[in-house]
Amino acid sequence: MVLSFFRGGDSGLDHVVTRSVAMVTDARHSFDLACTALMSGADPRSIAGDVRETDLRINANEQQLRGELAVHISVHGPNDIGEVIGLILLLKKIERVGDHAKNILDLAETGVSFASESDIDELLEERRIVSGFFTEASEILAEHDGIPESFRDRVNAMIAQIQSRIDAYMTSERPAHQVVPRAVYHRYLKRIVANLNSAVLAATEPVRVADDSG
Amino acid sequence: MRVVAPRPLGSAEREMPTGARAALVVALIYIFLVGVSSLEAGIKIMGADTQERLFSAVSNPIAGLCVGILGTVLVQSSSASTSVIVGLVASNALGVDQAVPMIMGANIGTTVTNTLVSLGHVRQSAEFKRAFAAATVHDFFNVLAVSILLPIELIFRPISGTAKWVSELLVGSSGTEWKSPVKKWVKEPVGWLKDLWDQLGASGNVKGALMVATGLAIVLVALVLVTKNMKALVAARIERSLNAILGKAGGFVALVVGILVTIAVQSSSITTSILIPLSAAGVLTLRNAYPVTLGANVGTTITALLAALAASSPDSLTVALTHTTFNVVGILLLYVLPFAREVPVLAANRMADIAVRRRVLAVCYVVFLFIVAPLLGVAVLR
Repeated sequence: MVLSFFRGGDSGLDHVVTRSVAMVTDARHSFDLACTALMSGADPRSIAGDVRETDLRINANEQQLRGELAVHISVHGPNDIGEVIGLILLLKKIERVGDHAKNILDLAETGVSFASESDIDELLEERRIVSGFFTEASEILAEHDGIPESFRDRVNAMIAQIQSRIDAYMTSERPAHQVVPRAVYHRYLKRIVANLNSAVLAATEPVRVADDSG
Repeated sequence: MRVVAPRPLGSAEREMPTGARAALVVALIYIFLVGVSSLEAGIKIMGADTQERLFSAVSNPIAGLCVGILGTVLVQSSSASTSVIVGLVASNALGVDQAVPMIMGANIGTTVTNTLVSLGHVRQSAEFKRAFAAATVHDFFNVLAVSILLPIELIFRPISGTAKWVSELLVGSSGTEWKSPVKKWVKEPVGWLKDLWDQLGASGNVKGALMVATGLAIVLVALVLVTKNMKALVAARIERSLNAILGKAGGFVALVVGILVTIAVQSSSITTSILIPLSAAGVLTLRNAYPVTLGANVGTTITALLAALAASSPDSLTVALTHTTFNVVGILLLYVLPFAREVPVLAANRMADIAVRRRVLAVCYVVFLFIVAPLLGVAVLR
């Protein structure tokens, strides 16, 4: 550990960004597993341990990286304060994504399963798209090139689509045991997409600067 | 009004190439050594009368201790004050016996910076308590170390004796002229400074005083710039090391990290001041921060050792080594022994409890320890 002083490698904010990408990958792993429990008919108990362990890892990483950001500010002074605020927000958003993935697992553990339902293909397609957002978010964080316009558009479209489903469930005349789990699931799904969007926004535009010159 | 996004993460600008900054640091260290040598030359020009006056001013060891505290508080750097002491010893303006208490005083005085930093957290009780404890643990360690070791040193001379033995092993016995290779490198610019004051019409004591003033200015400015540039050079390394301590490193690792970081930035104040906001935020516990401050105590002695390279007397090296020996022995006494280790920590926690309840007492403590007490000591005992 003393040798850490002499070693090279990722340092400071770059290191936090690299670790946050790994956290997004972990969050995706949790999300995919939780959705598998809900949509494939697999026994949730066989998946629960992995999801909870991953969630704990995400939470521990968040705490550790927040400590590292405090070290960064102490060592470098306030020059990077905007970036540090952005990263703290980013870490919090990723942690929340992990929490919602765990909520989806909780739903499966209460006995909810969409595996043999008539709308399973739609649900699987939504899951595939959202899972893809995780990958894109990781790439955006790793590349530091800002948020592509197409990503913003697709995320916003997905949020709108999920909200319209929730609205439809609220007024549906289908039995409660069918619409309530779907409304709850979609609520979690919407929070996951919104938090992913906020995470990349926090990383690429940590603090907006008012500029009167233009 | 439009809204623009700032630079994305990970794209922090680097102002100066690393190689250029490293070369600048080497140049600044050279200038620092010129400053020490100029100081020595100035005192020598001022003659025996001045040297005697300086001697008599600090002949009482407690007065010397207080001068060490005050001088260090004034420049907020023990590296600077101990380098000046080394320069004074090199010019025979101070003897080893007078310099040792001053060196110990410098150790106490240097803790003022992080204590002042901790006062910045005064508005938040919990934060302030943690910050003040992290700052005063350094004070308590240094005051305790001086309280124990100064009387022993005055009677038996074990610290300066050890330092003298090491010094003689390295450069020969005191009283002989030490042919330091660095001395030769800095001789020329010191000669230019003498010529400059000659050409401006200065002579005798005036010329000596101007050489001393120039030397002091060069030492202080060079040290500030060395510290600033070294910090920029090694900031990422400091960050990695502190993160290692936050993880699972033990006390010994933290101590070594404190030594390395302080050697790198040539300032214990920088190292210990970095710890204060981390302690205030609760990221670093007092027990994790404590060994880092002890490492900083040892690391900061490198500057006086460096200054001794530019001096011509083996006694200056003895004094610089006394600084290192004092801090190492202090750690052996107050950190390696488990029951003693808790004393500064408990005292700092107790002091922080009091400071949180009566914040004005925290300010009184700083003013008394670093200004009033040493001023009284100098006034009464000199």
